[in-house]
Amino acid sequence: MFGSLPLLTPLVLALRNMRVRWMRTALTCLGIVLGVAVILAIAITNESTLRSLRSVFDEASGRASLVVLPTAGDGEGLDETAAARAAGQPGVVTAAPTVIGTTLLARDVESWQFAVSLSGQAVGSSLQILGVDPELDPLVRQYALAGGRWLQGEAYEAVLSETYAGDKDLRVGDDLVIVAAGGQERLRIVGLVRREGAGLLNDGQVAFVPLPVAQDLFGRAGYLDEISIVAALEVANAPAALEALKDRLGERLGRGYDVTYPAERGRLVTQMLSTYQQGLSFFSVIALFVGAFLIYNAFTMTILERTRELGLLRALGMSSGQVLGLVLTEAVTLAVLGSALGLGFGMALARGLIAMLGVVLASDLSAFSVPPGGLLQSLLVGGLVTVGSALAPAAQAARTSPLEALRTAGAQAAGRPRRPAWLVGGALIFVAWAALYALPVRPEAGFAVGGLAILLLLLGATLMVPAVVGLAERLVRPAAVLAFGAEGVLGSGNVRRATGRTALTVAALLVGIAMVIATSSLSGAFTHDLTSWVETALGGDLYVRSPQPMREQFERQLAALPGVEGITKIRYFAVRAAASALASGADGDTSLIYAAIDPATYQSVGEFQFAANQGDPRANWARFARGDALFISTVVADRYQVQQGDTLRLVTRRGEHDFYVAAVAVDFTGQGYIVTGHWDDMRRWFAQSGVDRFTIGVAPGYTSQQVAETIEARYQAARNVSVETTEDFKQKITGLSAQSFRLFDVLGLIGLVVAALGVINTLMMNVLERQREIGSLRSLGLTRWQITKMVLAEAGTLGLIGGAFGLAFGYVLSQVFVDAVNAMVGYDLQYIFIPAPFLAGAGLALGVSQVAALYPAWKAAGVNIVEAIKHE
Amino acid sequence: MEFNEGGGNSVMPVLQAENVQKSYRMGELTVSALAGVSLVVQKGEFVAVMGPSGSGKSTLLHLLGGLDGPSEGEITLAGQPLSKLSDNQITIVRRRKVGFIFQFYNLLPTLNAEENVGLPLLIDGQSLAPHRAKIAALLERVGLADRKHHRPDQLSGGQQQRVAIARAFVNDPEIVLADEPTGNLDSKTGTAILALLRRTCDELGATIVMVTHDPRAASYANRVIFLKDGQLARELSNSAPGHNTQAIMDVMAGLE
Ligand SMILES: Nc1ncnc2c1ncn2[C@@H]1O[C@H](COP(=O)(O)OP(=O)(O)OP(=O)(O)O)[C@@H](O)[C@H]1O
Ligand SMILES: [Mg+2]
Repeated sequence: MFGSLPLLTPLVLALRNMRVRWMRTALTCLGIVLGVAVILAIAITNESTLRSLRSVFDEASGRASLVVLPTAGDGEGLDETAAARAAGQPGVVTAAPTVIGTTLLARDVESWQFAVSLSGQAVGSSLQILGVDPELDPLVRQYALAGGRWLQGEAYEAVLSETYAGDKDLRVGDDLVIVAAGGQERLRIVGLVRREGAGLLNDGQVAFVPLPVAQDLFGRAGYLDEISIVAALEVANAPAALEALKDRLGERLGRGYDVTYPAERGRLVTQMLSTYQQGLSFFSVIALFVGAFLIYNAFTMTILERTRELGLLRALGMSSGQVLGLVLTEAVTLAVLGSALGLGFGMALARGLIAMLGVVLASDLSAFSVPPGGLLQSLLVGGLVTVGSALAPAAQAARTSPLEALRTAGAQAAGRPRRPAWLVGGALIFVAWAALYALPVRPEAGFAVGGLAILLLLLGATLMVPAVVGLAERLVRPAAVLAFGAEGVLGSGNVRRATGRTALTVAALLVGIAMVIATSSLSGAFTHDLTSWVETALGGDLYVRSPQPMREQFERQLAALPGVEGITKIRYFAVRAAASALASGADGDTSLIYAAIDPATYQSVGEFQFAANQGDPRANWARFARGDALFISTVVADRYQVQQGDTLRLVTRRGEHDFYVAAVAVDFTGQGYIVTGHWDDMRRWFAQSGVDRFTIGVAPGYTSQQVAETIEARYQAARNVSVETTEDFKQKITGLSAQSFRLFDVLGLIGLVVAALGVINTLMMNVLERQREIGSLRSLGLTRWQITKMVLAEAGTLGLIGGAFGLAFGYVLSQVFVDAVNAMVGYDLQYIFIPAPFLAGAGLALGVSQVAALYPAWKAAGVNIVEAIKHE
Repeated sequence: MEFNEGGGNSVMPVLQAENVQKSYRMGELTVSALAGVSLVVQKGEFVAVMGPSGSGKSTLLHLLGGLDGPSEGEITLAGQPLSKLSDNQITIVRRRKVGFIFQFYNLLPTLNAEENVGLPLLIDGQSLAPHRAKIAALLERVGLADRKHHRPDQLSGGQQQRVAIARAFVNDPEIVLADEPTGNLDSKTGTAILALLRRTCDELGATIVMVTHDPRAASYANRVIFLKDGQLARELSNSAPGHNTQAIMDVMAGLE
């Protein structure tokens, strides 16, 4: 039979070893799979989300190489003739004009609500209408007809996105009845476009009509909102030539026209996404750590417990090189297997995450792209960490004399904590602290430094664990005894046996718990600030809004209604800061929201929540009321490095102009990219008119509901206004923010699952390794239930120690998170101690460890005594 | 109560095995490890079980201690027929009525000598404090009074086995079952261990069933039973424990 036994090469030995100990192999492999998967999934999710949202904006401009937009703040738009002038320029192939309007189906008016998703896009029922040139536009944008035909001539007809038609149950041949400047209008639906190319615009809530029809509908005769420029190939593909064309076009078109690259428009929205992106990126750093950790954990365990066996092989004449080869062969085999499975699992995990993010962002994220960097990273970590974690113990095993290895009882293999470990750990924590707080860090390096610091903190904390686990165990032992009796002593004591393994498990719990605490503290800090802003800044009792800007005179009519005590108007529009205003180092996007308010009436219904140290609010208001002044958000203050008393330069219709900063205020509107200015300044500098929202204060003796009904009864039909109570609006905002933080909850959950797997892995290894011991305890009369309790006690002690570490670390990490978000996004969030996450964290540490212990405990209770004690 | 055949002792035997069989299923094949063994052990007896390798000695011992259940037959331990008991009840019987000594000591590496000896009491939910004196006496008896606080990895093999012996006696068991307790020790240490067992048996009135390969070890018993192919092949009684090694060797030679 020797024929069937080939040379005992390391590969054969390794494979056989893996097969015989399949349970251990599976656990190790699971560690690698999870590690690789978590890293990859985060990378894919990040990339795909970004790509999905970008594609929406890329679709908007299609093949256009340049876009002509009105200079920010110009209310009327572009002159119609500009399209022809642009088309006449050498190098321009097509110049396609567009008019954009937002409206509603007439039948939706009643139920219409102001809804905005966190990505800044309108969700719900509002419909975007694009007036396009039926001849030219298909040269710019891609229209994939799903039914009917494309637009012809200048008839009152529309091509609808399939998405919207499906939502609203509309078909080719039906009439699209919408609310327009002059009342209800009917458009015949002649075709449907698929959800691709132009059909993706406004998240699919879009209809295309002939240009003149749109101008008619929205009262924009003679004006355009944008012109898409398709450049000749040789120009489009040569950046220098394109830049030259951009400059030339800007010059020819003259004042009031901005020629930009299409991608820049997507920037604002992408910027709004950045909070998420950064959250995810932070998590990917942690994923890297956790993934590496899982692999290290699993692999070290398999090697450590085999010290004895490796010693035997050495005794039988294997050289230390051969032992090393044997272990590495096993490591490489597992790395390949685990990484392959991990890639598959990671992709599946990413799909889940993306779906979840889609819900959170209220957009359909259809892109799924695997970034090569992320792929490489996960594979590298899978391979390097596996082989790396195998190396240290293997080298140790190869070095130890055979005798010594044989003497070491299997269960004792882990050895004592090496003294320098905690020193290194302490040093790492110090370096991390210094990087975060003591060193001046440039904003653009903020993420890299922050991420690295968090990684170092985690690593440092893990290295500290072995040094204190003995002490910690002694401290928590009474609790284990209280819960589990005499078995508690045995179980709890077990965590001191393999301090290395315990340290890794505690670290897994630590990471999981700290993640939960840090993410919920971050959302807590955010929600706290948001709520206090909502409470102070969103004054008044009722909001009156319309899909079309309302006339200013409407204010007097509303004020005259019974029950209306105070009223103020507000208008939002896009402006741009002068490029020169940007703080050095910040990237080039200068888009801002300008909120125009009337200081004479504003304070009758609302207040401003000024940032810290802004002096007397009355003085601030007085300065603001004199005009040429702004209240800027903390985000803007940070981004443009301006303080109260400085000036901020904005691009106005009459050129660049410096506005005095009357105060810095907390404002979350538009992710904080907002400045608030005087109503008169708006007219004077930006030539805007119309009211987006009236805020009404209800007189004593009336309920908000009563007044709302009066307004609706009188004006809803005629003016398409909708009335919403401030309470509802506040709830919607806080609801949205809660929803957005659900993503972080999901991330925390992943951390917990990883922690649970860490505990399962450790306990499983312990149980497998201590079969013999469990068998002899059973022979001494320990019942199955007592064995179960013993394993549960061990898990409980791990949970308590991991929980305590996790709470402490979570506390630190929370502040780091809050500081990091402040530094990167420019918010001025305050860390506030919220006990709930800490309580939840402590509960979870215990709960997770107990649940994770169930299977190992069950396995331990089922140990066959005779089998277990028979063999040495 | 009437007299019974075996020893003419009217006291109920500590241990009684009746036609005990054990077979293992290995796929299609059924391996018979014990093919019907009957055995009675009286209180105070020291019985050695011998036989060639694979003859079923360990299997028999495991069945006697309730570590495993027989395929056929009945074992009555301290008056309790094991087949009538649940797994938990058998565990409790083992905890209170049986002491085990294994070839590989099987001490708990996390506990020191004293705690290892007291382990069966701990398992029974008792506090060690009231038993301090007893544990000390047992450690004294096995000659380890000065090693109380050593952990297993700080003890030699012989010392570990002595801790295991002390542990086997701490719950005043009705019977102590030992599987090759000297198998792992040099002959001098082995002899000391056997002398210790013999003395304990005599002085504490303990009952011991010991599996061994070693005729010299078997000679310490009052009675030696021989197994072959899972069946009782011979039985020798030994009126002078510690001697008669030659007779045992002769029987063994005949069996192999
Ligand atoms: N779990 C098992 N599965 C299958 N066969 C088994 C099992 N355990 C024991 N056997 C078989 O039962 C028989 C008796 O085994 P046992 O361990 O009782 O022998 P032993 O007399 O103690 O031998 P040794 O002196 O070598 O320890 C052997 O043939 C063995 O192969
Ligand atoms: Mg045996």
